[in-house]
Amino acid sequence: MSPQRKNGRGAQHDAGPRAAVLHEERHGAFETKLMRINVGPVHPATHGVLRLVIDLDGEQIVNLSPRIGYLHTGFEKTMENRTWQQVVTYTNRMDYAHSLGHDLAYVLAAEKLVDARVPERAQRIRVLLTELNRIASHLIGLGTGLLDMGALTPFFYTMRERERVLDILELVTGVRMNYGYFRVGGLYQDLPEGFEELVKSFIDDFPAALDQYMKLFLKNDIWVNRTKGVGVISRQTALDVGLTGPSARASGVNLDFRKAAPYSGYEDYDFDVPVSEEGDAYQRFVVRATEMEQSLRIVQQALYKLEPGPIKDPDRRISLPPREELETSMEAVIFHFKLVTEGFHPPKGEVYVPTESARGELGYYLVSDGGSMPYRVKVRTPSLANVQAIAPASIGGPFADMIVNIATMDPVMGDVDK
Amino acid sequence: MALNDLFEKDFQELEREGILFGTLGKLVAWGRSHSLYPVTFGLACCALEMMQSTNARNDMARFGSEVFRASPRQADVMIVAGRLSKKMAPVMRRVYDQMPEPKWVISMGACASSGGMFNNYAIVQNVDSVVPVDIFVPGCPPRPESLVYAVMQLQKKVRGETFDQHGVELPMVEGWTRS
Amino acid sequence: MDPFVSGQRLADRMADALAELGGERSERFDQTYVTLAGERIQEAVRRCRDAGFEQLSDVMAIDWLEYPGHQGPRFTVVYNLYSLSDASRLMLRVNVDLDESVPSITPQWPAAGFFEREVYDLFGIEFRGHPDLRKLVTPDDLEGHPLRKDFPLGETPTLFGDGRFLDPATFRAGLMGRDPGRTGWTGGARKGVRSEQGRVDDDGSEA
Repeated sequence: MSPQRKNGRGAQHDAGPRAAVLHEERHGAFETKLMRINVGPVHPATHGVLRLVIDLDGEQIVNLSPRIGYLHTGFEKTMENRTWQQVVTYTNRMDYAHSLGHDLAYVLAAEKLVDARVPERAQRIRVLLTELNRIASHLIGLGTGLLDMGALTPFFYTMRERERVLDILELVTGVRMNYGYFRVGGLYQDLPEGFEELVKSFIDDFPAALDQYMKLFLKNDIWVNRTKGVGVISRQTALDVGLTGPSARASGVNLDFRKAAPYSGYEDYDFDVPVSEEGDAYQRFVVRATEMEQSLRIVQQALYKLEPGPIKDPDRRISLPPREELETSMEAVIFHFKLVTEGFHPPKGEVYVPTESARGELGYYLVSDGGSMPYRVKVRTPSLANVQAIAPASIGGPFADMIVNIATMDPVMGDVDK
Repeated sequence: MALNDLFEKDFQELEREGILFGTLGKLVAWGRSHSLYPVTFGLACCALEMMQSTNARNDMARFGSEVFRASPRQADVMIVAGRLSKKMAPVMRRVYDQMPEPKWVISMGACASSGGMFNNYAIVQNVDSVVPVDIFVPGCPPRPESLVYAVMQLQKKVRGETFDQHGVELPMVEGWTRS
Repeated sequence: MDPFVSGQRLADRMADALAELGGERSERFDQTYVTLAGERIQEAVRRCRDAGFEQLSDVMAIDWLEYPGHQGPRFTVVYNLYSLSDASRLMLRVNVDLDESVPSITPQWPAAGFFEREVYDLFGIEFRGHPDLRKLVTPDDLEGHPLRKDFPLGETPTLFGDGRFLDPATFRAGLMGRDPGRTGWTGGARKGVRSEQGRVDDDGSEA
């Protein structure tokens, strides 16, 4: 409590809590300006190299503008200079979290162009591995999302499960990430021994682990308070802004291309698509966690339905002939030579096949001029549209909620910038 | 033990009694090498493998990289994990300049070391042209074990125990002599 | 309406309805396209949206400069619309020439914001009325539009430790049919394989 000045010094006001109010009465209100700050591109919580320019009024966001392009790799231009089969090495690197989703989308589009008949075993293996990869991608999304909110422990748990998924994928494809396993016409090679046991042990252990994470956050008051009612996106806003995927399904957009336009045998599997009406960050998390459960169901069914059979389209004009034939058949040698040096030639035309990646609608628009390389590859990546949704979700809310919104949109910058 | 024993006894005898000898430089290098804090500079796919190298299976924290510092002012090493696009290159140089001496750079993955599979208008073909690189790690992406091995090699470099390709011993890195 | 019954009903109806705006209908690989003039695209998108195409999947462009046998405007902008209720897809095409511009649909559909900016950045097609048309993904000091066919890929030769230089273009020579390379192939198909590259009909139209 500051002492009262005596009248001898002149009447001065008591510099206490009323000081601010009196100052305003005498001199007019405090003049404030919006503060423009820059978040990223090097930031621990922006999920990669995303830069946001934000106008803040105190703690409240008034305007938000994402600046992207810091990971622009020129994929589409590079793909115009590689043969149709070589493009598969590039498709994984865009969405490096759900790489098989991109592989599958490209391979389906190219097969539609060439009119390839993919054998059923290859389709089932594709679905199995893609769903395993979707689980791994959602695990990263959940783990890093919680890490951005300051929870360090769940990250280690989700990474532990992800290591198990990566073990399975490494057994089949030989690499932990960025698999070059799918080919136009089928797969690279068949499944090795030991695959079934490894997948079965994962299927047995994963529900308990998922339960563990769900308990870690669904029953945690801090997490619930940080995500319930935060970053609400209405259904109309989601459609306005082009949002797809789990974030859109959490806002009530009932769209999943695995059900709406089934591909690669998805119509044979029995699974649910979680949809919610609330559209806040809480639901976006819960939808992703529920999707992991459903993906596990698909993996189980695909494993059960696997039958022995060929894994490549037997058409020699697209697929390489088996090695044994090269010893006896001259034609096989010629096909092999032409496919390896030149590649196959699809007919002229344009094709677009939409698929459902872990982030949303993913489709490759391929334009062919009859040559051995694509004429134009346009990748409709989900994260580019999802980044546009960060602004309507975050404007009007505090800064910390924006971090939660980015985490729940789960953009992957390779997908955004291509 | 009396204080004049320190001057009279042979150093081997003293070592047996638990007194270690060394130079201040070596002691500082030992401390530095075992507490290299990386700055979070994950760009693309290699960033996921870098995250995996900190998880429970491949624990990089036991090699001293306990935390990834978000602020470059508090970091020692920059692990460039992923493809560096030309738009990002000035940003990376700025982050590197903000790191205090002594600092090191590990170029992780094929894309950072040589442009990788992307030889086009958008990707910097060798991160060495932007920042001076100490260790290159091959792979696409390198396994977490590769990254941990790279960190161990960097530790050797910091302590002055490395050799170049001709077998000549490389000098120990002292922060204030590097550009 | 059952959202999971897949059908082309809405796309068919819309394609016919757009004929009054001057739209020409075409089909490629089971996909319905409507080609319109650029001036009509805003009205067409508005009508499609009102009819039930709630989702704008994509706005993209194709550069026809090196397409064998192509005549006409250099670019095509393709708008990819999807209807959730009817599970059908319609694509609108606008043929644009060099230095022509297209009205922007961003004011009525914010999803197109990033898509059109990307097309502008990579192709140079201007969208009139876009609230914020500037570069999106390329660095500010990059001049030109990378995805155009006359923009070079920008490959640098690979230098090996022993001094050898490897030129990536010669490595791939022959694959595009422009130079013979090592296989001697210069376009056209080998016998018995379907391919129409390089084949132009007598009246000059695409094969």
